[in-house]
Amino acid sequence: MSTTVHGDLAAGAPRTAKAEGTLDNVAAAFGQAAVVAIIFNTLLAWVKDAYDPLNTFMAHLTGHHWITHGLADLAVFFGLGFYLMSRPSTWNGKNLVVAIAVACIAGGGGLALWFVVT
Amino acid sequence: MSDIVLFAHPTFGVLGMVAAVWVFVETLNASEANQARIRMAAYATTACIVLAWLLGGYWYTTFYAPEKAIILKGPWPWAHDFFMETKEHLFFIPLILAIYLPIVATRKLASNATARAMVLVVSGFVVLNALAIEGAGAVINHGVKIAFVHSGVKGSE
Repeated sequence: MSTTVHGDLAAGAPRTAKAEGTLDNVAAAFGQAAVVAIIFNTLLAWVKDAYDPLNTFMAHLTGHHWITHGLADLAVFFGLGFYLMSRPSTWNGKNLVVAIAVACIAGGGGLALWFVVT
Repeated sequence: MSDIVLFAHPTFGVLGMVAAVWVFVETLNASEANQARIRMAAYATTACIVLAWLLGGYWYTTFYAPEKAIILKGPWPWAHDFFMETKEHLFFIPLILAIYLPIVATRKLASNATARAMVLVVSGFVVLNALAIEGAGAVINHGVKIAFVHSGVKGSE
């Protein structure tokens, strides 16, 4: 499968900052929010699994700890995303791409490791 | 009703994964011509993964408890202790990514290398997570089955 990049770059456009592109405020804000929400998800899973009163409290809030957990993740994602939208992004777009990848690997690996060990 | 919900959950998970593969492949060849298809596939990914979450969540919180007890009494208790515990929390990662995907996929990908890289990473991790979760679901299902076989319930073998 060809991975050739088509479009302006393939047409020989100069590799200027505009051609390379950056993430606009909305994409950058929700990208940062996704990084935080993914890490938050793993940390919350660790803490509630290690500390029963939190698990019980979360179950009490919605009827099941897992429902509360999911809603908390989405609240972090949307809350932080909308908050960051109104602020200029301090992240370089490419760093944010790397941060998403690292968060997915660390978050997923952290969950698997936790449930192997405990 | 329980079985319909149970089978609809991985079905939408697989459809979401296929839609994410579609986004990935289209983005490798991003141009003005396929921008609309990328956008449509990104929305399809979101819709399918959100439906998989809602259906799986409803089944998990309503019907799973008796199956958990069966698994824990069987020879594969780790089908719950490791696979279900990891799966139920891991699921939130592709959920967040699937919701984020159309936000970045609706940018002008043909002329924006950073947005293109972001879409490739996000859709790629949706696929990898979905594969892991589908595999974990199969192990959990087999954990119940093997517990019945082990218990000697007539006809289970």
